[in-house]
Amino acid sequence: MPRPVSEGRVATMSSDAVNGAGANPVMGNTLGGDNYLTHGRGLKSWLFTLDHKRIGVMYLVSILSSFLLGGVFALLVRTKLLTPGNSAMMSADQYNQMFTLHGAVMIFLFVIPGIPAALGNFVLPLMLGAKDVAFPRLNLASYYMWVTGAVMALVSMTTGAVDTGWTFYTPYSTTTNTSVIMMVAGVFVLGFSSIFTGLNFVVTIHKLRPAGMSWFKMPLFLWGLYGTAIIQIMATPVLGITLLLLIAERALGVGIFDPALGGDPVLFQHFFWFYSHPAVYIMILPAMGVISELVSVFSRKHIFGYTFIALSSIAIAVISFLVWGHHMFVAGQSNLASMIFSALTFMVAIPSAVKVFNWIATMYKGSIWLATPMVYVLSFLFLFGIGGLTGLFLGALATDVHLHDTYFVVAHFHYVMFGGTVIAFLGGLHYWWPKMFGRMYSDRWGRIAALLIFVGFNTTFFTQFVMGSHGAPRRSYHYLPEFQRYHQLSTLGSYILGIGFVIVAANLIHSLFRGRPAPANPWGGATLEWRTTSPPPHDNFATTPVAGDPYDVEAWRYDRTIGGFVPRAAGDAPAAG
Amino acid sequence: MSAGTPGTDDRAAPAPLGVGLLGMKLLILALSMLFVSSIIGYLVIRSRAAAWPPPGMPALPSTLWISTLIIAISSFTMQAAVRAARTNRQGALRAGMLLTTLLGAAFLVSQAFNWFALVAANLTARTNLYGFTFYMLTGLHAAHVVGGLIPLAVVTARAWAGRYSAAAHAGVAYCAVYWHFLAAVWVVMFGILIFA
Repeated sequence: MPRPVSEGRVATMSSDAVNGAGANPVMGNTLGGDNYLTHGRGLKSWLFTLDHKRIGVMYLVSILSSFLLGGVFALLVRTKLLTPGNSAMMSADQYNQMFTLHGAVMIFLFVIPGIPAALGNFVLPLMLGAKDVAFPRLNLASYYMWVTGAVMALVSMTTGAVDTGWTFYTPYSTTTNTSVIMMVAGVFVLGFSSIFTGLNFVVTIHKLRPAGMSWFKMPLFLWGLYGTAIIQIMATPVLGITLLLLIAERALGVGIFDPALGGDPVLFQHFFWFYSHPAVYIMILPAMGVISELVSVFSRKHIFGYTFIALSSIAIAVISFLVWGHHMFVAGQSNLASMIFSALTFMVAIPSAVKVFNWIATMYKGSIWLATPMVYVLSFLFLFGIGGLTGLFLGALATDVHLHDTYFVVAHFHYVMFGGTVIAFLGGLHYWWPKMFGRMYSDRWGRIAALLIFVGFNTTFFTQFVMGSHGAPRRSYHYLPEFQRYHQLSTLGSYILGIGFVIVAANLIHSLFRGRPAPANPWGGATLEWRTTSPPPHDNFATTPVAGDPYDVEAWRYDRTIGGFVPRAAGDAPAAG
Repeated sequence: MSAGTPGTDDRAAPAPLGVGLLGMKLLILALSMLFVSSIIGYLVIRSRAAAWPPPGMPALPSTLWISTLIIAISSFTMQAAVRAARTNRQGALRAGMLLTTLLGAAFLVSQAFNWFALVAANLTARTNLYGFTFYMLTGLHAAHVVGGLIPLAVVTARAWAGRYSAAAHAGVAYCAVYWHFLAAVWVVMFGILIFA
């Protein structure tokens, strides 16, 4: 519920907040007037747009389509696993393809670009009070690189879908007769999209910060995006060369990864994880950034430990480059190397925990508002806590030998990537949705869906922790009958999850047509994107705003008459000048 | 860009020099990671081999020294072009850009001769890892040289059209950053191929 209204008098919004308002009766809402959605009509005005907001929306549609596809693959896999033996539904080979496609689509098409490319593109320049990113044309090019890579990946599915698992491990990936080259080439192109998005964001954050926004006055979401972008720029090229070598090995028959021909099979794993371990921080850092924004706004309290949260993002980005070997404890690397990687892995827990403690301290004595985005925040804290702590089991050398390649790993990974990233993505989507489309969704249905997803998620994946600790191997078509009840429970959970997502989609789509027009600042956020209209005009701000404290949420009070927040004293927006 | 036509929105305008240069440096950072990881991969493969070159295989062609000389000189001509642009000496700028572009093309020709020499000695990318790693490293670098020649040619044409001044020569500056990087990468790669 909205925060209590302390004063009865109706405040008017600052001129910043209402600029560009159209005919709509809700203050700060431009539906029906000029905004970025109506500025230029027709398909062409979208396909060739340089507007970061439209590119963000195009990314959003694209990655959500990928999410739907990957989700359908997951539900098919879970449905097969209802029974331990052969299934009329899919053969063992089809099963291998199905879990590979689930992983590859979710990782490369959804989770990696998810928060940075979709939400980041929309929000980053707005948070900076800027008109756009530093290189708008490159931004559009990145999007089309994503589309090209995605199309290549889809084509590979129709010409013998890969069955290697999303990690493309050699020697299997060099010998299977599925279309590895096409899929891997698609991922290679997706890598370009990722690098150029990262490059664009780093330059934007360096060069386009507004007056009054020093590095340590930046919203924490931007710190998260910055850390992410650094990893994208530095790690993705290594994936590029790895994939090129894999293609060369298949196409030319040379033995870079084949010991019989003088190659080194473990080299592939080193190269692959040198990218793919930092890549999981590409996935989680922006999610942590989203949580940092939301937790302050919905606790109606200044963020606690700003500097520590900001620097821990950078610490995570740096350490992420030094832990790749923990994926290879049983791959035959030296014991010394394993011990070093194990110790470094434990170090990642420190900055991660720093963030969690600061988020909890932010909530402490806050005035917690359980709107839909906050339900996702609480969900995130719980699930990421479990995901993070189970990572320590896997980072410990002795337990990893037992747990390696079991469902325990699958569960851990999903607790971090789904319980962490996807939940934060949903929280962010519900938070910025009114800004994006100028409409409020049903908060009641939003919360119902969030709870269903929380219950469905835990049902699906907690059982997998149990199964895995009992030794159930992952990626297996057949399994021992003793695991059947766990599998059935897990599958039941995945259906609940599916229903939750259908409700999320229905609620958001319904809001586009029937939602209440959103005010400029429905949640009382103090970052700059809430100082422009909902949806924002083509050029974002009529006058360049001056940044103040991004977490001074107490400077905004709820105004019942507009259903949103206004600056506490009339015409006196914090540092609005 | 309100109706999908370029040029109606200053989003389509070139970025200011400082913004563009930072972007260029980040691109160089990404490419550095690409080349460093390729070279590390080469060294891993190299360290597993008992003999390098393997018995019966030709040594690397000594004309690699010529390639090295060409790209080193081109780095100097590139820098001369930048200095000329800064002081608005149009003639020197044109000459510097043209020479750099021609030397870049000459480098590729020289590399092609190296490849032909090895193919003539029956060493191709499919023969063994000795052949593959050589073609892979030099090919990866050559691909980036090709990618550099295109903007070099464009900037050269613009220089001859008198489009640059001491105040505005971002194109020349971007080319220089990229070209010096490629020269440096080649020198490192060459040293490792010959001496490691």
